Amino acid sequence: MTWLFLPILIAAAVAAYVGGRALARRRGRSLPAGERSHSRPGQHGAYALIWTVVPALVVLMGASVFSPNIERQLTASGAPEAVQQLEPFRREAFFADARAVGAGRPAVQIWPAPYAELLPTEGQRASRIGQMLDLGAIVGAALAALLGALFVFGQIRPGMRARNRVEGWIVGLLFACSAVAVLTTVGIIASLVYDSLRFFSTVPLAEFLFGTQWSPQTAIRADQVGSTGAFGALPLFVGTFLIMLIAMAVAAPVGLFSAIYLSEYAGPIFRATVKPVLEILAGVPTVVYGFFAALTVGPAFREFFNGLGALMVGGPLDGLGQYLMLVQNQMALVAGAVMGIMLIPFVSSLSDDIINAVPQSLRDGSYAMGATKSETVKRVLLPAALPGVAGAMLLAMSRAIGETMIVTMAAGLAARLTLNPLDTVTTVTVQIVTLLTGDQEFNSPKTLSAFGLGLTLFLVTLVLNIVAQRIVQTYRQQYD
Amino acid sequence: MRAARLRAGLKRRYAREGRFRLYGLLAIGVAVGFLLLLLGRIIEQGHTAFYTHTVTVPVYMDPARVDRAYPQGTNFELLVAEQQLARMGVADDAQGTKAAAMRSLFSSELKFAAAARIQGNPNLVGQTVPIAAPVSDDADLYFKHEISRATPADQRRLSDEQISWLDRMKASGLVATHFNSGLFTKGDSTEPELAGVLGAVVGSALMLVVTALIAIPLGVGAALYLEEFAPRGRITDLIEVNINNLAAVPSIIYGLLGLALFINWMHLPRASPLVGGLVLALMALPTIIIATRSSLKAVPPSIREAALAMGASKTQTVFQHTLPLAMPGVMTGAIISMAHALGETAPLLLIGMVSFIPGIPHSLGEPTGALPSLVYIWENASERAFHERTAAAILVLLAFMIVMNAAAIFLRRRFERRW
Amino acid sequence: MKFNLFRAADGTEGGGSPAGPPVIAAPPVVHSSAPMGPTKIAARDVSVFYSGKQALYDVTLDIPDKTVTALIGPSGCGKSTFLRTMNRMNDTIPGAKVTGRIEMDGEDINAKSVDPVLLRARVGMVFQKPNPFPKTIYENVAYGPRIHGLAASKSELDSVVEASLKRAGLWEEVADRLHSPGTGLSGGQQQRLVIARAIAVEPEVILMDEPCSALDPIATAKIEELIDELRERYCIVIVTHSMAQAARVSQRTAFFHMGRLVETGDTEDIFTNPRERRTLDYITGRFG
Repeated sequence: MTWLFLPILIAAAVAAYVGGRALARRRGRSLPAGERSHSRPGQHGAYALIWTVVPALVVLMGASVFSPNIERQLTASGAPEAVQQLEPFRREAFFADARAVGAGRPAVQIWPAPYAELLPTEGQRASRIGQMLDLGAIVGAALAALLGALFVFGQIRPGMRARNRVEGWIVGLLFACSAVAVLTTVGIIASLVYDSLRFFSTVPLAEFLFGTQWSPQTAIRADQVGSTGAFGALPLFVGTFLIMLIAMAVAAPVGLFSAIYLSEYAGPIFRATVKPVLEILAGVPTVVYGFFAALTVGPAFREFFNGLGALMVGGPLDGLGQYLMLVQNQMALVAGAVMGIMLIPFVSSLSDDIINAVPQSLRDGSYAMGATKSETVKRVLLPAALPGVAGAMLLAMSRAIGETMIVTMAAGLAARLTLNPLDTVTTVTVQIVTLLTGDQEFNSPKTLSAFGLGLTLFLVTLVLNIVAQRIVQTYRQQYD
Repeated sequence: MRAARLRAGLKRRYAREGRFRLYGLLAIGVAVGFLLLLLGRIIEQGHTAFYTHTVTVPVYMDPARVDRAYPQGTNFELLVAEQQLARMGVADDAQGTKAAAMRSLFSSELKFAAAARIQGNPNLVGQTVPIAAPVSDDADLYFKHEISRATPADQRRLSDEQISWLDRMKASGLVATHFNSGLFTKGDSTEPELAGVLGAVVGSALMLVVTALIAIPLGVGAALYLEEFAPRGRITDLIEVNINNLAAVPSIIYGLLGLALFINWMHLPRASPLVGGLVLALMALPTIIIATRSSLKAVPPSIREAALAMGASKTQTVFQHTLPLAMPGVMTGAIISMAHALGETAPLLLIGMVSFIPGIPHSLGEPTGALPSLVYIWENASERAFHERTAAAILVLLAFMIVMNAAAIFLRRRFERRW
Repeated sequence: MKFNLFRAADGTEGGGSPAGPPVIAAPPVVHSSAPMGPTKIAARDVSVFYSGKQALYDVTLDIPDKTVTALIGPSGCGKSTFLRTMNRMNDTIPGAKVTGRIEMDGEDINAKSVDPVLLRARVGMVFQKPNPFPKTIYENVAYGPRIHGLAASKSELDSVVEASLKRAGLWEEVADRLHSPGTGLSGGQQQRLVIARAIAVEPEVILMDEPCSALDPIATAKIEELIDELRERYCIVIVTHSMAQAARVSQRTAFFHMGRLVETGDTEDIFTNPRERRTLDYITGRFG
């Protein structure tokens, strides 16, 4: 039923185009010899098409936005007394089941006495209302298309600047496309801020930012033990920071050295082989890295440290040995190291661009002084590229902080305030996933806290990105 | 004096040079080595999922236990287990523990296969019919040498007795090895031996269709506006900064946006390809805009000027000359961003694609899985047999990505123009 | 003394000077009578190929010590290519190949036993565009002595830096801001800084690749003045586009055309009495 509008719309569009073109041709014939109509007939047709389709689309979009609410109110207001007295969400469930029963499917819930008998009749009534609304929307759209067509056919005459008007519409449409990008940002900020504000109305901001206890598990019932969760996110921030640090400790030197080797030492054939490899590494989905970290790197690291611990136990380092023997798969080191590997191609390609932006004249100057390649790199290229490299590192950090799958699969859930890479820590992104993928009731602080974490994450990465992009841009302009 | 000094330092300087060069090579070695290790490990873990073991047992359709009219009600698994025990000459105890142990070697598929045979031909009741079904996940792992007798009995999921039964069944030719076609023709299942990736592949495909239909036109449109029509000014600058930042926003933030906007506010169906596609479209948008803009920039201004000089309007110039010339670059960028979208996982988890969804989706509105989220779900599963299937699902995912990237590289090579 | 006089002139009429050297006249007569050293560099049948394409054909040329030798010729004639063979800068270009023999003080510089690093410490180079490193003025000049380990102590390094800057005629302008970035200087100052950087390692030869082409006339005049002073200590080879400059600063001139050495001789002779028709056409401005 709802998809019926599509063929109607297409038919109307074709009719308007053909009609507009024909009309423009006929009216063009009345021009005195030697004069030409301003726009081509096809452009008039396109103009007619726009004026026919756009009003219809506006009506249909309006209907799809408003009709669910209208339908809900109409079905509810016409319902028997008993149904009207249900709580809103129970009423929703009732009508959902009623529609199912009306369509011949079984109901999801078991309804008590007065409701069970009402299901079939109410279901039929509800689906009638739905059909009426759909029909109304289509009739409205057809009417709008007709009015638009009447208007535009009256306008078509040789002197009308149909081409300019059509082009105006096109540019408007393109502008609307780029406005989507801005709307996305607005949407992100609005959705994060709205739910975060609700969260911060129950948990004070200072407690969230500086509290050291994180246990968001609030009880479902108020009388259960530990019904109030603790929302001190500091351990999450520290855990995120620790894993980011480990990742950067891997990615920064390896990525930078690869970039230096590729841009200064490697021959064309070597470069042509290694670059695609790095691109593949960059294209591997993070869930794959997560799988690898959880099932290969984690157990390997644990075995290594447990073995090392076993060697130490009984010796002068007995305490350390005992500790190492208890190290688990989910240590921060595993997630950090694998994340670092993930970031290598990112750091390397950014640094490569930046090192290549250093003018050749500086290299020539240094070589002409008798400097070796490494001296040139260390004493001239890197100092010259320093701001750009710093920007690249900031971008990589922002990535590490926002990375989700590797930590979700390979890091732990225990919110510990530690900087020990062998301990399990948890991160902001891990907690967001954990909080929002279980059974959730929507208005509990537990669920809302995920949006508080999301807002924090968004702001931190935003600042890092803006600063980094500024730095890199200024750096590039310097050598342009 | 000067020459002596120059020479004295030379050896040290060249040693330093050599070391530095070595660090560079080492760094590249780490990256390349890791890629090989990653792929090697995944192939090593995943290749066993591509074949599986089926057991074919003769089943006597005992009229006392099989109801012609309602064969689904029969406990075929127990029936088969008891008959198999009897055939192998093993006596069961009063509690039927041996039958239960035998039964756990067969997949529950056995029941459906047997019931389907009876339903198709009720006259089979009273006869002995060979029924084929997959072995259970643990038995499969044993045949793949991933469960070994050498492991102490209390640390493996099969008892010594079960292992000896399996050996005997294999020796008597009941067990066959073959390509695991179920992996590609079935949806997800709670039982590893019956789980396949088709549901997730279809889900991912539906999602990518939505993403492509939304993100590519919007992205190209936005890039055209910004590159060709937008007046230089503060608003345009703001949009540009905005797009650059959107490209770097963590993907999980898009998941939060999708949850709040599409599910909680617009009440679109949870875990549906529609919502997934919308979220991925918003994510892919900035990348497509950036790629399109750079290929529009690469079209030399002389072509625009030539068209304008012929009397074409600005819009005609853009749509008849600039955009067609930039199209290979646009398509390459679009395919690469689609490949990225295919592998994206975090936002899908937040819009509900973490729950177990059996079957294969048929519409944009029903809950579905996706390949990357299936990898996450299977990785979390406790059964060991899911591990090899996770790796296999990753291989399927990587195969799709390789095909997409190869298409992009082909496009670039075939149509790229240097001005 | 001469230098200070020049500075005074620069300060008073710097702004309004016409395009052309305002103060220094071109006195080739003086140059021809200048003492000319023995042969420093001897090139024999030198050819250069870039990725298989020949850029220089069988150049044979003697370059005397304590003399300024100018390489002139139209764009793409191979003069810069020849210059870069003398400190083996072509080694840094992938696909470049040099054949023939270049001797410096009788030693083949392309021999396997000769280290390009050591060679470049003996043969300094100044480029077309001033290319100070993005470091302080002091660090720029100290770069060579540091990488080559030529200064044993901080005070020795200080004195090397000071001496080099003085010899490059830059000391008085930068003495009070040695630790500000070298890129902050004016174009002419940057080029003199780069010359100071080159002479800080006490090279025997200085190669200059159109050192004034990016400079205004006043800065050009200063550099030319400096080149004339440096001639007393170094063997200088300068590539230039400007005939007037070649006439002003050099004692010997070599004319290149289409990758070949056409004619060489005393500058005065070349400019007043060329043997080859092509040389005459070029110096009289008929092509180039």
